[in-house]
Amino acid sequence: MSDFDQILVGEEWENTDLSLLETLDHVLNRGLVIAGEITIAVADVDLIFVGLNVMVSSVETAHEVLRKREATE
Amino acid sequence: MKLYVYCLAEGVERLNKAPLGVAGTAIQIAKFEDLSALVSVCRPDAFKVTRKNALAHHEVVSSITKQTTPLPARFGTLVTVQQLQNYVSTHRPAIKAKLAHVRGRAEMNVRMIVSGKPSPESKSEDALGPGTAFLLEKRREILSEEAGAAEKQQLSAWLREKLGDLIKEEKISVNSSQTVILAKADHLIERVDVQEYRTKMSLAVAERPEVRFMVSGPWPPYSFANIELEFSRQFGVT
Repeated sequence: MSDFDQILVGEEWENTDLSLLETLDHVLNRGLVIAGEITIAVADVDLIFVGLNVMVSSVETAHEVLRKREATE
Repeated sequence: MKLYVYCLAEGVERLNKAPLGVAGTAIQIAKFEDLSALVSVCRPDAFKVTRKNALAHHEVVSSITKQTTPLPARFGTLVTVQQLQNYVSTHRPAIKAKLAHVRGRAEMNVRMIVSGKPSPESKSEDALGPGTAFLLEKRREILSEEAGAAEKQQLSAWLREKLGDLIKEEKISVNSSQTVILAKADHLIERVDVQEYRTKMSLAVAERPEVRFMVSGPWPPYSFANIELEFSRQFGVT
């Protein structure tokens, strides 16, 4: 991830995991859609793995982060 | 055999220390007059949707950001040579305009998490009939949409106040639930302004202790690369 660094403020995030999640979020959800075959099959086990990781950057993650924080307080 | 496409760019004549692409393939430059595409020749069955390949995609896109600002393709784009040629020829003006727009620029992302309080009416919902519960749910949806639009506007105004002219383009999304609001702002900024952006965001973050922030970047302009979406928007399709 040579072109990526981040500043994280206000929370002890897991930097490495978040770097990975942010990268996957960009690569999977954004970018130029060229007419052609987007080879992402729902049945692909790896996709499920990737998808689960990306989910962590969604609203569900926010819930999780909050739950963890509340548990430690 | 197909081409796996990483990005479109201008002015890429050769690759300096290009990493390996998806499925361990070599990166090649496909030239279309003054436009180039970074591609791998790949058998469709050899390409798998894996974390490793997703990261390889990003590494390849990032590898040319020192030479030029590319338009990253979405992960998993496999096309025939003919399809890529057709795409570039039919979208040439839009691609060039988009490349000119992102040239020398980078994407920064801000994510914000705001804790909310659950609505008190949710506690007594079990005692309601299905019709009332349905209407209440609809009401909540409408209120949530309205609140989301207002929050989006407020957030945009706040970020513009803090970041000013650094923002060349902005995309904001707000997702609200009963207990949390997650907002995402994607900014296109000049690459030379990255440090200033971080500094200003650090100051802005300090003003809002009730909000949890994550600022990341610089990224290749993934969020500002798509052409079809903007084309569709002109015809009222979202």
